[in-house]
Amino acid sequence: MVLQLHVWGPAFALPSIDAQCLSAIAYCSIALPKDAWELIASSDPSVSPTGELPALQNGSTWVSRFRNIVDYLRQYSDGAWDLDRQLDESDRADNTAFASFVESRGQSLIDLSLYVTSHNYYNNTSPAYGNLLQWPNQWILPPKLHGAAKARTDHLGLSSLDLQAIEEHRQRDHSAAVAAGKIPKNLIQRPRETVSGLLGRGSSKNQFRMEALTADFFEPLEAMLGQKAYLLTLKEEDVPSSLDCIALGSLSLALVPELAFPWLRDAMRAKAPLLSAYTERLRRRCFGDSPVEVAHAYSPQSAPASPLPWRAPGRISIAAVGSTLLAELADSTPFLSEIRRNNRLKQAAADSDLTSVEKGAVSMFADSSKKDMYVSIAAAVGGVAALVGYMFHVGLISVASQEQEFEEEEEEGIPDFGNLSAGDILGL
Amino acid sequence: MPPKGSEGPQPESTSSAGPNAVHDFFTVPAPIKRLFDRFPLTTYPPNDLPQRSPSRRQDNQLYVFSDAKSARHGRPSFNPQCLKWQAYLKFVGIDFEVTPSNNHASPTGALPFLLPALPAGAPGPIPSHKLQKWAIEQVHCEEEQQLNLRFEVYASLLDHRLRNAWLYMLYLDSENFEAVARRLYVIPATTNTIVRLALGIQLQQAARDELLKTSKYIDAADLEGDAKSAFEALSALLGEDEHFFGRSKPGLFDASVFAYTHLILDESMGWKQNRLTQLLRENPNLVQHRDRLLQFF
Repeated sequence: MVLQLHVWGPAFALPSIDAQCLSAIAYCSIALPKDAWELIASSDPSVSPTGELPALQNGSTWVSRFRNIVDYLRQYSDGAWDLDRQLDESDRADNTAFASFVESRGQSLIDLSLYVTSHNYYNNTSPAYGNLLQWPNQWILPPKLHGAAKARTDHLGLSSLDLQAIEEHRQRDHSAAVAAGKIPKNLIQRPRETVSGLLGRGSSKNQFRMEALTADFFEPLEAMLGQKAYLLTLKEEDVPSSLDCIALGSLSLALVPELAFPWLRDAMRAKAPLLSAYTERLRRRCFGDSPVEVAHAYSPQSAPASPLPWRAPGRISIAAVGSTLLAELADSTPFLSEIRRNNRLKQAAADSDLTSVEKGAVSMFADSSKKDMYVSIAAAVGGVAALVGYMFHVGLISVASQEQEFEEEEEEGIPDFGNLSAGDILGL
Repeated sequence: MPPKGSEGPQPESTSSAGPNAVHDFFTVPAPIKRLFDRFPLTTYPPNDLPQRSPSRRQDNQLYVFSDAKSARHGRPSFNPQCLKWQAYLKFVGIDFEVTPSNNHASPTGALPFLLPALPAGAPGPIPSHKLQKWAIEQVHCEEEQQLNLRFEVYASLLDHRLRNAWLYMLYLDSENFEAVARRLYVIPATTNTIVRLALGIQLQQAARDELLKTSKYIDAADLEGDAKSAFEALSALLGEDEHFFGRSKPGLFDASVFAYTHLILDESMGWKQNRLTQLLRENPNLVQHRDRLLQFF
């Protein structure tokens, strides 16, 4: 059985748009022989029962998340496909710590650069998803990912990169100025806002913060790399470790994409020249010399020879499109979404290999939240009934009198034009 | 446009009946209006300072999650963030008093914060992210982040992997939540049952949201696996040394580790389910490290 790795599809000349998928691709391309695996740019998390990408499929077994995939490959191959087997104890500790460091810090920087920075999102990331996804997912998924990235980076306080939020704020100020009569309305020039302009003008605080964030991320990695070939191993002929794969995922997304506002790449090149060279070298080794294009993933025979065993994803069927649309519709309908969530939870409880006590607890939770929902439905219905009752009481709605009113209006509301002169109509 | 003339008034009166009714509908009903016209009923003078507030602030006051009895004896706080800074200030040798509090008291909305002793041109409350700078100014200790490039890297293990496992164990494990989190955070906050219920739900939801930020679903086995590898990495980093990074005195990193290891091992917390203890006990040097640092309290 050939292992199949499902990932988000190619973008920005890289084989995937997602850092974790890039890490998984890099790991497989180093650890596995080329004929043992296939790379499928399915670009749809719903292909996997876990609802996440990257996902490794082996027959009916699905494994998602980078670390689980690495563990699974080690067990599956009895340790043959394990890049970390030559590490000693202190290297292993470094491996874990740096992996956690790169995942947490790197992911925030990628989020800021590709999603939160509005220029990059609207000019680069969003079109890249457009090329990648099929209808209707191209309308559904990118806003979700955008929102998730914003939520993840909220605590960094760098919303100034988000022009949408700034624009709202600016418009408030703007209309306040107009209302105060300071500026005649038609004289106001609407300046085209740019992120660099904003950062240069008002918010040197944000610039400092961005400096600090990028320095915090790149400097320990640069120091760790030093003159070595890889982050943990000394010599070029050694194999990279799983840490190198994780690092490549984040670093290549920082370095390679051509963005409208490339602050992250500039910072990386300035602060970590060795790391940039290392990223470029490792990228060639894992993803091949030529840049990856979307077409390579969908029609593998057109692709130039590369280390990536692409296999075209199955065309999306009408049924799948329909079910996606229905699911999306149901999830955004107030009560229906809760019913669905509870059902999913119960399903998950029944399917998973939890102990019976935990299973009981989970399904109890699902039941109780079902009850909550019925209570809220009852409350809503009761509220509406009370409102309608009140409207009857006040006399806004009255079944009988309304008909009369209509009749009256028909009779007298329309003036009889026949008896009127033009002067009367114009009110002269 | 109603035509002028003798029939004029009639159509006008019928067409205005609709808008009038709508208008009546949106005005506040008279009894409710009368009720709200009476507000505010009385305006009270501002409260006096509570009796227990220190009248003479001779000592630095550190506000943490704690209960009155442990606070009097300077026992460790039950909140990892608070315990981290409490331990750090103890390790670098700054004297302070612990005041039990909750996050509504804090100017930033998060505990801990420190109210410096009065003279010395005190600048007002110091939030937790400025505590280290303040401590360095006070006692001229080192800024440890600068000394070792691994500080920040290993700190990410604590701030992400261990913290996520902690959030899961404390808030989302329902037995622990009832036995530990409700007792420590919810019950002291209020005596009102409904507010307690709401507060409990809010706490759990906040923890769930935090965990769902980084992944699509919460996988307890994954979180435990992460915590296990984090403990192993920290144990390897500590090695045979007394304190992290081979320092002669404990510092900020020791405080950060102690904040979690102590609370995980502390039996007075009353854990019902404690997988993290088993994982932690597999690394005896971390347990010894915690026991050594507990001498400071």
